[in-house]
Amino acid sequence: MKTIETWALHAYADGELDGADRLAIGELLAHDEAARTMLAEIERQKQALKAAYDPVLREPLPPSLAAVLRHRGSRAALPYAAMAAGLALLIAGGSGGWFMAQQTGSAAAAGIADLAIGAHEVYTVEVRHPVEVAATEKDHLQAWLSKRVGTAFAIPDLSDQGYTLLGGRLLAAGELPAAQLMYEDAGKKRITIFLTANPGQAKAALRVEEKGGLVACYWLDGPLGFAIAGEMDRTRMMQLARVVYERFEG
Amino acid sequence: MDFRSQLAAELPHLRRFSRALVGDAALADDLVQDCLERAMLKSHLYDPARPLRAWLYAVLRNLFISGLRRDRRSAVVKTVDDLTGGEGSVAANQEERLSVALIAEALDRLPHDQREVIVLVALEDMSYRDAAEITGVPIGTVMSRLSRARAALQRILEDRGHTVLRRVK
Repeated sequence: MKTIETWALHAYADGELDGADRLAIGELLAHDEAARTMLAEIERQKQALKAAYDPVLREPLPPSLAAVLRHRGSRAALPYAAMAAGLALLIAGGSGGWFMAQQTGSAAAAGIADLAIGAHEVYTVEVRHPVEVAATEKDHLQAWLSKRVGTAFAIPDLSDQGYTLLGGRLLAAGELPAAQLMYEDAGKKRITIFLTANPGQAKAALRVEEKGGLVACYWLDGPLGFAIAGEMDRTRMMQLARVVYERFEG
Repeated sequence: MDFRSQLAAELPHLRRFSRALVGDAALADDLVQDCLERAMLKSHLYDPARPLRAWLYAVLRNLFISGLRRDRRSAVVKTVDDLTGGEGSVAANQEERLSVALIAEALDRLPHDQREVIVLVALEDMSYRDAAEITGVPIGTVMSRLSRARAALQRILEDRGHTVLRRVK
């Protein structure tokens, strides 16, 4: 067989030929034993490859891969309509406009939500070391994190909401320090509050983001950006976010 | 369907491609993870008029190539379990596992430029045009690599087939 025929045979087997070219190979196959053998070998290899690797298609997805899609998406990937809908819902439900809806800072705020959700995911599953500094040293925790984040804040008491402070830790939000505060309810369900500096002092109204089973509310206000994350329904999370917002306003 | 859901829908194929390209199951999934992260970061570069799968294959393939350049010196020790997908593999009986391992080993012995082309075309059913775009070479080069890959795979499988047969006897 000539080289050109060999290539044509591959193209035929791979479905790359049509019309007259395909017919021509049909004729070649009819009278050329070597061509038939070669085509059979190409088909055999295809079947062997598929037999070897098709089972991968049916394997359960590793949790790490599912988690990437759930928690570390870029904001650009989310339809803006959904974000706008969340915002509209909030404005409609909010009393007296306790958050101003502004576009500035929304990208920075969204970044905070992603970081908060990621950090929530990582640390709330820790059994022995969920926090770096425990609630027993609340004053120290508060002073330390305020200093690192660059703005003095008071750790909110959420016991009337059913949440006990476990403690907190220092994290990074890109190049900026960030703080995570962790709380737990009687059923051992954990929520986290994430705070970081808001260098441009941009304002962003509270938004809600849901990823997998997690709900996060986030906003920018003055020198700080906030997010609160947990597994609960959206309405309850928004109520909680409002409480947290008011306590930080203090 | 939003971009993330589209990515999720492509995951099984992306994993199969990665496994056949890389060999080692854990490394292949790491590569898929890097690919997803990159795809989400660079989603603005994706042209929705083109098939998403081909774009993802190109992203994954390029990450793999740059990884190869980076860790050229670090060799990965492979076991039969790695080659067959370990516990995750569905290949049930001994014979099937053997043939899966054979194919994996044969692919491993192909030069990388031939391996990626035969995987794209013969396993993933990519058109020559898509394979050319994914690997960044002209269609003619895809065809010549494919032809060489098939000839080489045939030789390797025949050799190994005989060896295994002797061993079994």
